[in-house]
Amino acid sequence: MLARIAHELFWLGRQLGRAEHTARMLDGIYAIDLQAPPDAPVGAQLTWEGLLAVMGATDESERTEAPDRDEVMRLLAVDANNPSSVLACVEAGREGARVVRDVISAEMWEAVNTLRLGLYQHHLSGGFGTGPYEFLQYVKERCALFWGLAERTMLEDEARAFLHAGGRIEAAQMVVRMLRVALAPFGDEVADEVERPARDGQALALLHAVGGLHAFRRAVTDPPNAEPVAGFLLYERAYPDSVAASVDALHTALVAADARSRTAAPVLRLARLSADLEFRRRASRSAGDLLAVLGDVQDELALVDHDISDRYFAGGTQASRVMTA
Amino acid sequence: MATEYTAAPYAPADGFYDELFDASGGARPHAETLVSRLERLGAGELAAAGRRRDAIFMQQGITFDLTGAAEAADGELRDRPFPLDLVPRILPADEWTVIKRGLAQRIRALNRFVDDVYHAREIVEAGVVPWEMIVSRSHFARPAYGIRPPGDVYCHVAGCDLVRDADGRWKVLEDNVRTPSGISYVLENRLAMTRLVPGLFAGYHVRPVDNYPALLLSALRAVAPGGDDEPTVVVWSPGPANSAYFEHAFLARTMGVELVEASDLVVRDEVCYMRTTSGLARVHTIYRRLDDDFIDPLEFRSDSLLGVPGLMRAYRAGTLALANAVGTGVADDKAIYHWVPEMIRFYLGEEPILDNVETYLLSDPERLAYVLERLDRLVVKPTGESGGKGVFIGPRATDAEIAAQAELIRADPRRWIAQELVHLSTVPTLDSSGALAPRHVDLRPFAVFGEDISIVPGGLTRVALRPGSMIVNSSQGGGSKDTWILDEEVVPDGRPLPPRRATVPPPLPDLRQSSWTGQQEQQQQERSGG
Repeated sequence: MLARIAHELFWLGRQLGRAEHTARMLDGIYAIDLQAPPDAPVGAQLTWEGLLAVMGATDESERTEAPDRDEVMRLLAVDANNPSSVLACVEAGREGARVVRDVISAEMWEAVNTLRLGLYQHHLSGGFGTGPYEFLQYVKERCALFWGLAERTMLEDEARAFLHAGGRIEAAQMVVRMLRVALAPFGDEVADEVERPARDGQALALLHAVGGLHAFRRAVTDPPNAEPVAGFLLYERAYPDSVAASVDALHTALVAADARSRTAAPVLRLARLSADLEFRRRASRSAGDLLAVLGDVQDELALVDHDISDRYFAGGTQASRVMTA
Repeated sequence: MATEYTAAPYAPADGFYDELFDASGGARPHAETLVSRLERLGAGELAAAGRRRDAIFMQQGITFDLTGAAEAADGELRDRPFPLDLVPRILPADEWTVIKRGLAQRIRALNRFVDDVYHAREIVEAGVVPWEMIVSRSHFARPAYGIRPPGDVYCHVAGCDLVRDADGRWKVLEDNVRTPSGISYVLENRLAMTRLVPGLFAGYHVRPVDNYPALLLSALRAVAPGGDDEPTVVVWSPGPANSAYFEHAFLARTMGVELVEASDLVVRDEVCYMRTTSGLARVHTIYRRLDDDFIDPLEFRSDSLLGVPGLMRAYRAGTLALANAVGTGVADDKAIYHWVPEMIRFYLGEEPILDNVETYLLSDPERLAYVLERLDRLVVKPTGESGGKGVFIGPRATDAEIAAQAELIRADPRRWIAQELVHLSTVPTLDSSGALAPRHVDLRPFAVFGEDISIVPGGLTRVALRPGSMIVNSSQGGGSKDTWILDEEVVPDGRPLPPRRATVPPPLPDLRQSSWTGQQEQQQQERSGG
């Protein structure tokens, strides 16, 4: 297929993946942040500042006071000038979908287009001011609809493989970044008793923020503290939004898309990463070790991103520039 | 802009304690912020939020069956969205501390009482509670005699109904130590409030309630009989036809455990198993949501189709923990309630922190005569019933009804208790026109007794939606409110942030630069050319 089209599909998947993950994070943190911190070490918050760090707005977090909730909400949900905001991602995704209208099914196009229209309606009608729940819920529902329609209506061909590859690499990167930010303040050494509850609470917020609380409760018998939660989100292949599951799915998508996948750099790298994750899953899960793994995974994913753009899109994306910088 | 409330100021009902407004109609200190925010929202906004609430609850299937009158009328159960009032009930930290300590004390005493009844009977020996009073209770469970559950915990899950009298003092109206229900609504109400009216939370530090499933699960694990593997906990529901099935499923889902019915369970050689796709799997703790009478047809009601034959055998052998333990019903009988303050003094050597409502047992002929004389001013309840069934309210009864009730009491005085009427406190509630009006409330906090007693901040506030009514049961037209317990220390807004090390991830790929550019095209041409 055309490299240009593959590129558009890949980025359509990324845009919608980022919009959905951002919406879920905002929703999860918002609900928790309304209430006081709990006395038991569960249910506390991943801070707004942490969320800014996840989204890469690092210069914002240099300030001395905690960022204001409404400000962060606005910045990450409806600020059209912030390229990572939900609204900007949907807008860009819709533009991409328009370019590939002939490749995706009419129903998928409609799902994206309606999402954009709906968001502007919500935004303009001031619904965001009385509470972001419906706005964010709408994003989650429409993104789920889009991916569901892709499963149902799209030919299982290269085009679909690139669309999925984009969605999965975005999911893996978002979850890795979230985990890094949540565990980062507690560093390599063993956290002391004072710090511990805060970190445990943040871990539960992470489950809220990816919609994985239910899956975690069914899969893991440990209490939702930092190590089990981070391990679950990183390694649990049975959970579709875990890093390991996303890496596997990305691998599968590229194998399907690439006629000579056996020698393809990104495919080989992903196979190594997948095996490595499986190996590390059996090793220790202390916070320091997890942080180290997360750092490695993030670097590897950036290299995968670079390999993908190099092999399929003639090496022109931002990822390559970031890595070489 | 002026709102509807200023046009028709809120008037607390005379002779009752209003929790948000004082007698002069001014907001109490802890309610000032809330009241001003409600005014700013106005009736229109609140009505819109109410419509969204009904839609969300119907979508999420948070409904309950209207039993009683409606059932009799059309012969079938109907789903209604659980009526959540959007005005929260706020309790300051110091009030909650008293309630929490009082409840923990009471539950500890009730637990000791259950232990005593089925073992040493010290309280009977000491002449505090007459044995015939205990043994005649419908929930007295002979098969529980001599069984000692792990940790001596019987009342793993308890929910006491509290009310406030006209002077604002808290009193215990009822103890529920069998299968108190309503906790799922506490959690769902909070979730709905954060989604529907997040603005109301601003300026308050409301203590979260969502750790209840984790608390319950760890308590259920803690009481599991010792073994080498991870204990398996299940929730046992009578089935989807039960009116509390929503809650059973909610608890199983939020704890991540199996929701079983009787046909899933089987007892072999004094060990309880569940049938799974890979054969029988051992069960260690059952959180059961049905009464003793139905759990084992071999030892209780032989006509029970909901039970598991042999369950008591496993329970007696100590291979299985049941929560709550068998026989706890004897402690939440309305006649036994009368002695709870005495139990606290007897078992714990403490003075009760929370009082009972003045209660009269009718087995004593003098009391009986006194009560019959004042029937028009008292509340009469059947013992061993729950859910507001068969409750007689003197001041609201006609002469004929009073005469009929007197007849019932005379026929079997032990079946009844009489209580002074409590002037339930009120909390402003949205009426159908969107204005605030005083409505009567009670409070059911939920306690979990595992290694220790933990009480979820707040509890289920039930509210009588009909003007003047004091019947708060949801089966009889009651609704509920989100209950806010305020955090003790006010955390300043500039909360100290955890130090952030230099592990902040590199910037995300900038999505703006993702579009295909001429440069790329050129690159590709060069490559294929070269």
